[in-house]
Amino acid sequence: MLDFINPYYLQIGSFILINILLAISVYVPLSSGQLSLGSAGFMAVGAYTSALLTINFDLPIYIGVLAGACVAGILGIVIGIPSLRLTGVYLAIATLGLGEVIRVIFVNWDSVTKGSIGLTGVPQIGRELLTLVRGFGFQPDMIGLKNNQFVYLMVFLLLFIIVIATLLFFVRQQNSRVGRSFSSIQMDEKAAESMGINIMYFKVLAFAQGAFLAGLAGALFAHVMGYISPSDFSYHRAVEILIFTVFGGSEVIIGSIFGAVFLTLMPEVLRFVSEYRYIIYGIMLVILMAVRPQGILDIHLLGRFKGIKGSKGGAR
Amino acid sequence: MIRLLLEQLINGITLGSIYAIVALGFTLVFGVLGIINMAHGEIFMVGAFVGVMTTGVLGWPLWLSFIASIVVTAILGYLLERMTLRPLRGKKGVSHLAPLISTIGVSILLENLSHHIFGAGNKPFRTEFAEISIEFGQVTVYLVQIVIFVISIILMIGLSIWLSKTKAGKALRATAENLETASILGVDTKKIITLTVVIASAMGGIAGILVGMAFNSVSPQMGLAIGLKGLAIIILGGMGNVKGAMVGGLLLGLSETFLVAYGDSGYRDAIAFIMIILILLIRPQGIFGSKIAEGR
Repeated sequence: MLDFINPYYLQIGSFILINILLAISVYVPLSSGQLSLGSAGFMAVGAYTSALLTINFDLPIYIGVLAGACVAGILGIVIGIPSLRLTGVYLAIATLGLGEVIRVIFVNWDSVTKGSIGLTGVPQIGRELLTLVRGFGFQPDMIGLKNNQFVYLMVFLLLFIIVIATLLFFVRQQNSRVGRSFSSIQMDEKAAESMGINIMYFKVLAFAQGAFLAGLAGALFAHVMGYISPSDFSYHRAVEILIFTVFGGSEVIIGSIFGAVFLTLMPEVLRFVSEYRYIIYGIMLVILMAVRPQGILDIHLLGRFKGIKGSKGGAR
Repeated sequence: MIRLLLEQLINGITLGSIYAIVALGFTLVFGVLGIINMAHGEIFMVGAFVGVMTTGVLGWPLWLSFIASIVVTAILGYLLERMTLRPLRGKKGVSHLAPLISTIGVSILLENLSHHIFGAGNKPFRTEFAEISIEFGQVTVYLVQIVIFVISIILMIGLSIWLSKTKAGKALRATAENLETASILGVDTKKIITLTVVIASAMGGIAGILVGMAFNSVSPQMGLAIGLKGLAIIILGGMGNVKGAMVGGLLLGLSETFLVAYGDSGYRDAIAFIMIILILLIRPQGIFGSKIAEGR
């Protein structure tokens, strides 16, 4: 019964959802003109904070995840304020350096993080949820599901709710005073400042929001996988996250979603692609920058969709 | 004690001069184009692999593999400029981040290509040359170390003279100062830019072979590590500043060597990044820089 609820598809679905969070974590700072390559580092901070809290102090997962996201967000503020002096490529390099420093610390801080072996036995969201509903006297086979189907389904649904909530928040923010300030800073910082926009506040806000999101995604990643190691958060991960946003379209939030969905699905659907994934990513970045630097989806394309479909349009 | 110190000093200077050559490649491109070439580390790695392949598999003499590596990396540099940098130049609506992202693309392409071709592990770089050593009192110095030091000094002096005295060097500096004005004054800026990228890449290739000789191992991942260190160095020394690249390279080489000898070797790779962050926050223009970091 209900065989179409395939754990494999649901797992990929969960990865897509986590990657959407990560793509947005690059998009938000970028929408205020800041390119951050530190998302893998913030992700690591979130993942390790949450994993260590839940393993060593038996805290419930949701507290661990929240703490992980908050620690990453606070680190984002701490790094964001002095980084205000940096713009463009300098910020990109400083954040890239930050990500590498974080990774090296996690590799070397053996006593706490178990070094490059990584942390095993991170409590998994799915199992905890299963125990929880069992506590209410509910069994998965009551609705005709096997245990593992139920577990993966619950994880997927939970992540789906988190992603939808995040998206709603950021779409609303984009159309608010805050979002307009972000884009005016992106267009011309000096002009924005002369119009009375508090550059420092909004830039740090965008940067910290990105860090918070990356930390959240990292913490969720840890509790979905049940295992994390520093190599999960390397430079390659940072580049991959960047590609989600740059490929999908860095001007519109739906671009990040499209990029994350498409690029996570591609290696799964086309198996032979998986092996050459990074080679394809590399070629893609070069071609994209030359031909369509704003990414696949941009405002004009979305505008055309709106024109054809009438009422239904993109999230912008 | 003194002996160990001296040997560490020599190791540090060797490492530092290689870093300096890598950083010179970065700094040349940044000085002229105002962009950071994230693919430089991978071009360096390709240069090292050409060295491994020509000496190890084909059995060529060392000088010939030097030339092979220079030629291959110079061609890579030409392709880099022609296919990824030129299409972005002078195009409307291209953000200043586009070349950075584009060269990141080239870097992961090259890294994974060589991963597929050569495999993931370390490749030994075998030359009998690497075994020759000279004793100065109690201190052992390898001939390779001397060669590396001499080559890097020659490269630096040659580059400085070329930049300050020759016509092409002056044209390059003019282009670096202001592209439009230089082209109005009759400098063929397109040619100068191509030349810059090609020379920078060839220097990366030389550094690659030298590293292969000094450390006796080459892997596809080394490009990233060295590339990031090169970045750290030019930020430390001041972007686009030739003298800064040399001093920064030596500083990083020495501090890494001494950390490994007297401290925690696990944090060796973190020095460069901590340096990047500190320098950017305290003195964004670098030690020798005069301009304040502005968005480019």
